[in-house]
Amino acid sequence: MDVSRRGFLKLSGLSIAALASGLGFDPTIAEAKGFVLKLEGSKKIPSICHFCSGGCGMLLYVKEGKLIHLEGDPDHPTNEGALCPKAASLLSVAYSPNRVTKPRRRAPGSDHWEEISWEDALNRVAQKTKEVREATWKANDEIINAKTGQRDLLSVNRAEGIAFLGSAEVDNEESYLISKFCRIIGTPYNEHQARI
Amino acid sequence: MSPSFGRGAMTNSWSDLQNAEVFLIAGSNCAENHPIAMKWINRAKEKGAKMIVVDPRFTRTASKADLFAQIRPGTDIAYLGAIINYIIENQLYDRNYVLNYTNALLKVAKDYKFEDGVFSGYDAKSRKYAVTSWGYQLGSDNKPLKADSLEDPDSVFSKLKTHYSRYTFETAEKITGIPAVKIKQIADTFCEGKPGTILYALGMTQHTTGTQGIRAYAVIQLLLGNIGKAGGGINALRGEPNVQGSTDMANLFNNLPGYLPHPINTDQSIRDYQVRNGSVQEKPLVALLKAWFGEHARKDNDFAFSYLPKINPSVNASMVKLFEMMDKGQFKLAFNFGSNSLVSIPNRQLVRSALTKLDMLVVSDLFEVETAQFWREPGVKPADINTEVIMFPAAFVYEKDGTLTNSSRWIQWKNAALKPLGEAKPDLEILDSLFKRIRKLYDGSTDAKDAPILNARWDYGEEASALKVLQELNGYDETNGKLTQSLADYLKASVGTVSTGCWIYAGVTGNGNLAARRKNSDSTGLGLYKDWSFAWPGNIRILYNRASCDEKGQPVDDKRKLIWWDAANNVWSGNDGPDVVDKTKGPDTPEGKQSFRMNPEGAGRLFAANYMSGLPVVPSADGLPAIGVRPAGLCVDGPMPEFYEPTESPTDNLLHPKVSKSPVALILSSSPEIQKMGKANDFPHVLTTYGVVEHFCAGGITRNIPWLNELMPEPFAELSKNLAQKIGIKEGDMVEVSSARGKVTVRALVTDRLQTYKVNGKETETIGMPWSWGFASLSPGPSTNELTIAALDPGAGTPEYKVCLVNVRRA
Repeated sequence: MDVSRRGFLKLSGLSIAALASGLGFDPTIAEAKGFVLKLEGSKKIPSICHFCSGGCGMLLYVKEGKLIHLEGDPDHPTNEGALCPKAASLLSVAYSPNRVTKPRRRAPGSDHWEEISWEDALNRVAQKTKEVREATWKANDEIINAKTGQRDLLSVNRAEGIAFLGSAEVDNEESYLISKFCRIIGTPYNEHQARI
Repeated sequence: MSPSFGRGAMTNSWSDLQNAEVFLIAGSNCAENHPIAMKWINRAKEKGAKMIVVDPRFTRTASKADLFAQIRPGTDIAYLGAIINYIIENQLYDRNYVLNYTNALLKVAKDYKFEDGVFSGYDAKSRKYAVTSWGYQLGSDNKPLKADSLEDPDSVFSKLKTHYSRYTFETAEKITGIPAVKIKQIADTFCEGKPGTILYALGMTQHTTGTQGIRAYAVIQLLLGNIGKAGGGINALRGEPNVQGSTDMANLFNNLPGYLPHPINTDQSIRDYQVRNGSVQEKPLVALLKAWFGEHARKDNDFAFSYLPKINPSVNASMVKLFEMMDKGQFKLAFNFGSNSLVSIPNRQLVRSALTKLDMLVVSDLFEVETAQFWREPGVKPADINTEVIMFPAAFVYEKDGTLTNSSRWIQWKNAALKPLGEAKPDLEILDSLFKRIRKLYDGSTDAKDAPILNARWDYGEEASALKVLQELNGYDETNGKLTQSLADYLKASVGTVSTGCWIYAGVTGNGNLAARRKNSDSTGLGLYKDWSFAWPGNIRILYNRASCDEKGQPVDDKRKLIWWDAANNVWSGNDGPDVVDKTKGPDTPEGKQSFRMNPEGAGRLFAANYMSGLPVVPSADGLPAIGVRPAGLCVDGPMPEFYEPTESPTDNLLHPKVSKSPVALILSSSPEIQKMGKANDFPHVLTTYGVVEHFCAGGITRNIPWLNELMPEPFAELSKNLAQKIGIKEGDMVEVSSARGKVTVRALVTDRLQTYKVNGKETETIGMPWSWGFASLSPGPSTNELTIAALDPGAGTPEYKVCLVNVRRA
């Protein structure tokens, strides 16, 4: 049976068992069977790697809502099943004990975090956005008109006191909403790490 | 890229790398930082392709090269200029391509000059150029005059020839440290292989002359006829998983989504906006306003243009400058979603100081990154810091629906595979909840300034749906509420009848969710994969592919056919989506000749001239300023690349010692106590920073992954055996590396990968340091950005991370 590398990776599901049957004992087959048992009953969900801009495909094996295995997506035309060491390690982000799992607040001058509810966190930020927007609103820029020498008031509608650092690590839809959110509340001071 | 070709994006794709005959990889260590690139490069190498690597270090990428040259960091334009000179002098250029698809024949304005390292129009006080003299000689029809031959002294080609005649291989050797014979070898190897492609990443952009380095690549590729072809192009290996997309979406102070220029304070109407930006921007701007304000954006209220904030053009608020503004106290509230500036911004003292000036910092992240806990960095007294910090737990990539756009411009959809951990939420949901709450706070307001909030079109469902947002990016026919089917449909629609949140994404969900397509067959064998996801614009896989055809519209390369003019059916057709103005306009029409349709000349720009196409000949009767069609993208630091020394450099510029450094580089100077400058007497060595395969950018994720920390546990300083011997240290010893701005103590890595080299006869050392560490995480370590300098490229705002001066001693 001719199994290309790409084909082999595709076989890494249950069909390995079929390949192995009737060949007698072989440690590599035993290993493959262990792999099959581990993945049995899991759902394969394709996703995209979160590191460089390769956009490599990953396959997530999810069983009873838990991520149990992650590997390169053999159907993805860019990486054809391969993953670099960083991508391969993304399994461990799902349940990392170091993840932040609840909203937190650090009060002015405090030396520690306190956990707060989503409700509280969102309300505080919404209130503060309004407060700063009101306090730092700039309706006009004043310029000297080059032709007339007169002072001109130009309508600019800027919330001068709010900055938003967005991200090249969130989804397009999120990046877009950041852009839209900023301009609607009146801040053009929206930047992110693409610049650097 | 944009001032040369019209779009700021990688021209080809990962899988297209297999089609190249020769690679110039300079400014990228893709074997470590974009490992997937090597898969396709290796495939080309198996077919006989040659690989050239130019880098300050003998990297893992270099270990696979046929030809390697070690270069002094920040001097690329010197050797690239010498290659341009060699191509012109020896007539190695693709004559047909240069004549038909570049602006080589156009006549440059008579008052354009370049003298003693400075282009015409320089104002020393503001450190800026007036660009008026960088234009063309215009005819009575306001179109550029065309010379009869390349030899015409006014032609762009002649200007190019004169400009680079100063760049000999010998001069380049003295500047770069690469032997002249090796530079010639690079030139010969690269010119012989067709098609040839150039790969770069941050090694090329993180300089005060970053944009011009890429322009030098563009000039070489246009001369050799390598743009628009399978296996050719300039492949910008972008850094983050969605940096192409986040740039498309304009998390940038000077853009709106889809690369629209941001309105400035003198744009008081859409008409004013068009005077500056051309009539071509009217439709996408109005479509964006329709997407944002729906029925509140009408013709009778100038499509709610007044709702948009207008920037002050004299304020540069690019990333690093933003922190300078913050440090001066401008911002009371800052959001920080998915970045770690306290590790990643150069001269991090600036960020440390700036964050304390805020009333409130709002962070959304997976882990408690350094930026979120700046108030308890070792050595800082939390009691002195009055900034309130709110931290939202963010969901990870596979815990949410949505798309990411990779370097090949493929917009790839993924479904959430898991529920977010704990109470974490996708940023989409956080933004949606936040906006809805803010809107509620303004409920009932009649103040004009609150109208944009109250009248915004913002309806993504009870729980925000990523698909609904993507559909807004695709856009709607506003006359019937149906999704726009394709980019062509958007282009056909009249102004005001169509909406889109980002016009270049038009078509992505027009006919089902095309970003979710998973058909991986490719009958062309060229790696186009047209039915896998969706590439912007209009599913074109290789940009500017019109240039892969001859004047008659037929492919010049039989083995790599992308598109062609189908005369029988009167249409452009092919293996790829044709990148043409109009598919029905043949190669004998003015539209059909255009190979770079996003440029006002319709051609690739060897000389980045100041030009607006379509300006009316007769002034308008109402006396209002004239509106042209399409303006050119400009480089603020010159129409042609020129070599300047880095801001901190061990030597003077050999070409023009009086103007050694870029006369327009942005050097942060508001806080002299933060931004100190070093001299070669005190800091004799060149520091260059880089990434390692095990860690990613500021390390926010990777330093929290145990097995990556085991593989790469701590930062280090890499130095040559010569230097190690001189300062009496061996591998594994601790060394202190210091710059004028700070110092760090790390382990020494003594290698052959860096060699002592000669700069203008003087022995010089480069020290290399990875930069992904900070004081927090499972694996803390000193941040290399204690040392770097906040000197920026004047156009892009990219900092010069790749070069500063340091000293090193045993710790």
